[in-house]
Amino acid sequence: MDFLFASVSKDLRRWMQDKTAFLIWLGIPFLIGGLITSMIDGGGGTPTGVLLIADQDDSLLSGLIGSAYSQEQLGDLLIVEQVSVEEGETRINDGEASGFLVIPEGFQDAFLNETPVTLTLKTNPAQTILPGIIEDVTEILLDAGFYAQRLLGPELKKIQDSGLTELPGDAFVAGISVDIQHKIDAVAPKLSPLLFDLEIVEPPPKEPQPDIALLFLPGIILMALLFASNSLAADYWEERDRGTLRRLVSAPGALPGFVVGKAFAALIVMAFLASITLGLGFVYHGVAWNKFLPSLLWVCVGGVGLFAWFSALQMFFPNNRAANLVTTILLFPLMMAGGSFFPLAALPDWIASIGRLSPNGFIVDRLSGELSAPTAWSIDARSWLTILAVTLSGLALSTWRLRSGFARK
Amino acid sequence: MLNVEHLVKQYGDFTAVDDISFEAGKGSVFGLLGPNGAGKSTAINCISGLLTPTAGHIAVSGHNVVKDGKAARRSLGVVPQELALYEDLPAIDNLRYWGKAYGLRGKELEDRVSAVLEHIGLADRAKDLPKEFSGGMKRRLNFGCGIVHKPKVLLLDEPTVGVDPQSRAKLFDLVEAERDAGACVLYTTHYMEEAERLCDSLAIIDHGKIIAKGSVAELKAQLGARDALQLNGHFPDEATRGAVTSLTSGIADLEILSQADDSLLLTLSSASHHLPQIFEAISAAGGSVSETSLRSPNLETLFLLLTGKELRE
Repeated sequence: MDFLFASVSKDLRRWMQDKTAFLIWLGIPFLIGGLITSMIDGGGGTPTGVLLIADQDDSLLSGLIGSAYSQEQLGDLLIVEQVSVEEGETRINDGEASGFLVIPEGFQDAFLNETPVTLTLKTNPAQTILPGIIEDVTEILLDAGFYAQRLLGPELKKIQDSGLTELPGDAFVAGISVDIQHKIDAVAPKLSPLLFDLEIVEPPPKEPQPDIALLFLPGIILMALLFASNSLAADYWEERDRGTLRRLVSAPGALPGFVVGKAFAALIVMAFLASITLGLGFVYHGVAWNKFLPSLLWVCVGGVGLFAWFSALQMFFPNNRAANLVTTILLFPLMMAGGSFFPLAALPDWIASIGRLSPNGFIVDRLSGELSAPTAWSIDARSWLTILAVTLSGLALSTWRLRSGFARK
Repeated sequence: MLNVEHLVKQYGDFTAVDDISFEAGKGSVFGLLGPNGAGKSTAINCISGLLTPTAGHIAVSGHNVVKDGKAARRSLGVVPQELALYEDLPAIDNLRYWGKAYGLRGKELEDRVSAVLEHIGLADRAKDLPKEFSGGMKRRLNFGCGIVHKPKVLLLDEPTVGVDPQSRAKLFDLVEAERDAGACVLYTTHYMEEAERLCDSLAIIDHGKIIAKGSVAELKAQLGARDALQLNGHFPDEATRGAVTSLTSGIADLEILSQADDSLLLTLSSASHHLPQIFEAISAAGGSVSETSLRSPNLETLFLLLTGKELRE
């Protein structure tokens, strides 16, 4: 046991001297994670557009149309600006607005007299959503105006013909009111009792939408661990080149303590890296802290598993350079398929299913589940046993490779 | 303490060690002397358990290295030819680490580490990193790591390669100190003078075979008092070589060891006195001598006489 602790201490002290490596292991994933998060979260809020209106009629009705675009939720989407025709043409052609509506002179008269009139709406082809909304709203307004005109045309005509210059008298208002009441009474039997029933169907409560940036977090953490485990695995070559492996195999029974010691040292490095990345992720995304310990444990055990397998793999190559080159090249498809660049959920199904079978994809998949699950410790026992078995088999393979010749050269 | 019998190590068709046998006792230094590639390191690697012998038997302190390797390795200390150090850990931590690898603990470990640091002359540099050391200091630390657990059998594989004369002398002192403390030391080298100074007995090895074995005095006795005379030049035909052969009737113990068109290797007593006679015979036969090398009797001469080539070739 003394030798085990000595091995852990020896490796940690040596590895800690290479501070640049730690910066790289953390820096690259943080850089990529930061870029992804800023792309997803950046410039938040609802998009807004500008609707230009040239009101050549300048009437009550044309004013009502202009103000209709500023009501309630539409007001959040659109900024309505009154402009001249010339200014409106210039600005819409320059792409400075989502739409340009021209209400021609005589619009109100034409409406009340049931004569044709044309409103001109120009939309910005460079935009997709807001011009569509403006078109739809304009059509709805015109439809509503048509039906109002059909129902209350005489009353509206009477108001227009009265040529009011000041407030109307009580008799005039009462007359108009009675006429309108008669119209409503005539329509009322058709409405009450209602011949149709309006059922307001509320959409089912939406599933809580996942935090998109949170989906990237497990992959980013695994990216740090992949860099670290590949880099630390190269230490076996370093030890061989220094001749310490040859001295080691001459010592009786020291080899298992040496291998396990290296794995424990790797575990501590993984815990350090995972604590930082997970901690920042938990703070940023507001993940419940009771999930921190299971997430950390999962990531650390998985990280040691990656280290063990990278170590074993590296020891099968004929020289240090080839070992490093191949495992470094291997990192990128692993990161790609295993959800480090794109979340597994965002990958095509067939790639995601392959990715989940990769060691890092397996870890990412379960970690994502843990982070988004309603309760902590959601990773099932089978997954824990699998990752433990994979880790132990990687360590056993490393030991075998050391015994079978790697350490003796 | 160390017993090697009929050791064979083959790599496919190539035989690196070919049926060698020797034994070394407590408090003695046994040398394996031979040129590079002779099979010395392979033999040491078989003894230390790094390589599995193809055939033969090796026992360390009575334990079979193959069948009871763990017990055998407990008695072994190895100082490899190349440095085997953690250059980014202080010297004292290197010693502690290897002491723990061999099972030392607590006070015993600390006492032993302190003693070794004194012994190898690095007590005042104990906390410094080996990467800041000179080559000789690294060699001494390398030696210290091999003896920190007080091995009964110490394997030294060319420990002075690339070491300056002062550090070499210090290493000799360390080896002698281990021998005096009762260790059995197996020392490989291709330096004749090291073998002559340190080894109580030795084996000369070439192409994996032991070609001579015994104490330094016994081996020198094989050579007698004869010098080795190497002549390089132009010896074009049988007539030239025949002229030299004819000298054997006039010079009592002259022996021709090897003959070629451009070289001639002779052994004879008081060679310097016979040089004019030899040159005259060669010249009369139409040959010429461009270079002469005369060596007094030593192990290197013996190797030359036994193999017809230099020890350092």
